[in-house]
Amino acid sequence: MKKKIGANIYLIAVFIILYAPIFYLMIYSFNSGGAMHDFKGFTLEWYKEVFHDTRLIVIVLNTLVIALLSSAIATIFGVLGALAIANARSRRTKNMLLTLNNVLIVSPDVIIGASFLILYTLIGIKLGFTSVLISHIAFSIPIVVLMVLPKLQEMSPTLIDAARDLGATRRDVLTRVVLPFISPGILAGFFMALTYSLDDFAVTFFVTGNGFSTLSVEIYSRARQGISLSINALSTLIFLFTIILVIGYYFINRKSVRPNGVGMRQ
Amino acid sequence: MLAEQAIIRFENVTKQYDEDPPVLDDVSFEIERGKFYTLLGPSGCGKTTILRLIAGLTEPTKGNIYFNGKLVNHVPANERQVNTVFQDYALFPHLDVYENVAFGLRVKKMKKADIDAKVKEALRFVNLEGYESRKIQEMSGGQKQRVAIARAIVNEPEVLLLDEPLSALDLKLRTEMQYELRELQRRLGITFIFVTHDQEEALAMSDEIFVLNKGKIQQRGTPTDIYDEPINRFVADFIGESNIIPGKMIKDFLVEFNGKVFECVDQGFHPNEPVEIVIRPEDLEITEPDKGKLRVRVDSQLFRGVHYEICCYDEDGNEWLVHSTKKAAVGEEIGLHFDPEAIHVMRLGETEEEFDKRLESYREVSHAK
Repeated sequence: MKKKIGANIYLIAVFIILYAPIFYLMIYSFNSGGAMHDFKGFTLEWYKEVFHDTRLIVIVLNTLVIALLSSAIATIFGVLGALAIANARSRRTKNMLLTLNNVLIVSPDVIIGASFLILYTLIGIKLGFTSVLISHIAFSIPIVVLMVLPKLQEMSPTLIDAARDLGATRRDVLTRVVLPFISPGILAGFFMALTYSLDDFAVTFFVTGNGFSTLSVEIYSRARQGISLSINALSTLIFLFTIILVIGYYFINRKSVRPNGVGMRQ
Repeated sequence: MLAEQAIIRFENVTKQYDEDPPVLDDVSFEIERGKFYTLLGPSGCGKTTILRLIAGLTEPTKGNIYFNGKLVNHVPANERQVNTVFQDYALFPHLDVYENVAFGLRVKKMKKADIDAKVKEALRFVNLEGYESRKIQEMSGGQKQRVAIARAIVNEPEVLLLDEPLSALDLKLRTEMQYELRELQRRLGITFIFVTHDQEEALAMSDEIFVLNKGKIQQRGTPTDIYDEPINRFVADFIGESNIIPGKMIKDFLVEFNGKVFECVDQGFHPNEPVEIVIRPEDLEITEPDKGKLRVRVDSQLFRGVHYEICCYDEDGNEWLVHSTKKAAVGEEIGLHFDPEAIHVMRLGETEEEFDKRLESYREVSHAK
């Protein structure tokens, strides 16, 4: 019993430390005093400022467009990649492809960003929307692969045999059996790619040019220019949006898991 | 006439992966229309490979496979008139019962109304009416089994392949399903090819059994043929319990083992040829020590429900397994009696062809008498 109380205290402490800075920032977004100290009174001034800032709203839209487009395209490539890896004939090729995939996930964003910048200047792609989109697609693909692959490996190979046996062509097998089976993985991959793209700073910072910016880069440059509590307001809004995404993901996931739960109970 | 009867023909088929020893080694056989076949053997004997070759899920390394007289070596699975019930059922977890059964018809782009009628009929056939909208995960093992069968037969295959479909069920359900499968085959009138490692299942259900070991067919025949006249030690051992003792064929109808000469019904051997003798445990009868043909000492005894399984040793140290409804006392000396018909003599290293020929020859002789 004592042990349990200790464990609970530890857990609570960890979460307080993790969430305290965010809540600190959120609370001061309502400060009428205009600084990150001396809470003078409650105001929605800073939120008003955010919503009146057209430049900021354009940037938010840019960020969303980049995130949705890049994650959608990355999902398509990622699923194809995962299928290729899962169907690789020899174990060695499979492991090699998987390792190459994982290296991209663990390698520092700064290096990926820098190498993209060098690539774009070399082949003459203008920095801006396209360059950011391509980079986001590129770093999202390995994430999608990693989310889809376990689902593919979970799928019994006799399912494909059964479909073939029942008269399905290769195309039927893919659209009627494989894709529906791995759809939870595809969805998870898409959402992961979406969040990675939304909050990416390092890569975007390298490959974004004049006149085009995403939210994280914009917040960074504003924070450097001086403290304005509108940044706090904006951050709070983004945080709430992320929470909604997470909750949405949770519900989608639960829906796809539920049939199993019922089966177990019987 | 014979060619029309055979629906599937294997001609010297070999299947080999890489440099490993072949899974299937130069196998030839014919499958007739409308019969219940069982491929029986231990795991790794090649029985599932035969099934996959028939289904078109794998191609032979050497040899030819004919279906209805046409060469089908390279015909893919989805173009064959064959359906399979898989060992793990392989039901699609993302589809409900109705859609699982309808799968084969949907990929054939059949009309909705026709699909509906056929699916309902197939589900009625396997006693699953009213389960249409159930999720696969909500079905029990036996029900999944029926869905898998319905999904296969709804396509009206000419041959239904069953890959150890009963191995995941408990004993009672398994026995029930044996009756049902046999009944289903009679009602459908199509060929069933059933794969199993369970000899009781094979004996209970089949018209014809192929016993396989190490990629070769050891023996084929009706259940009684195979049980009563196993061709070699492997078959005798694999099908049922048996006492296998080395012996010597003195001449026709006389065999020597345990230092004694016994009357038997086998013939067609060379004089004094070394052979192996098979006597089934249920053919041995316990008697007074002096009245039996053999004297043995009871070593141990197990109660098996239907009978006692009694393990005895004779003076030479040979083990004798006896199935008896009567109890024996451990350590006691008893006599064993058996009829001449109970003795089955096996020639060492005899092939299936030679065995059949010998059997044929002396059947003629006995008819002539």
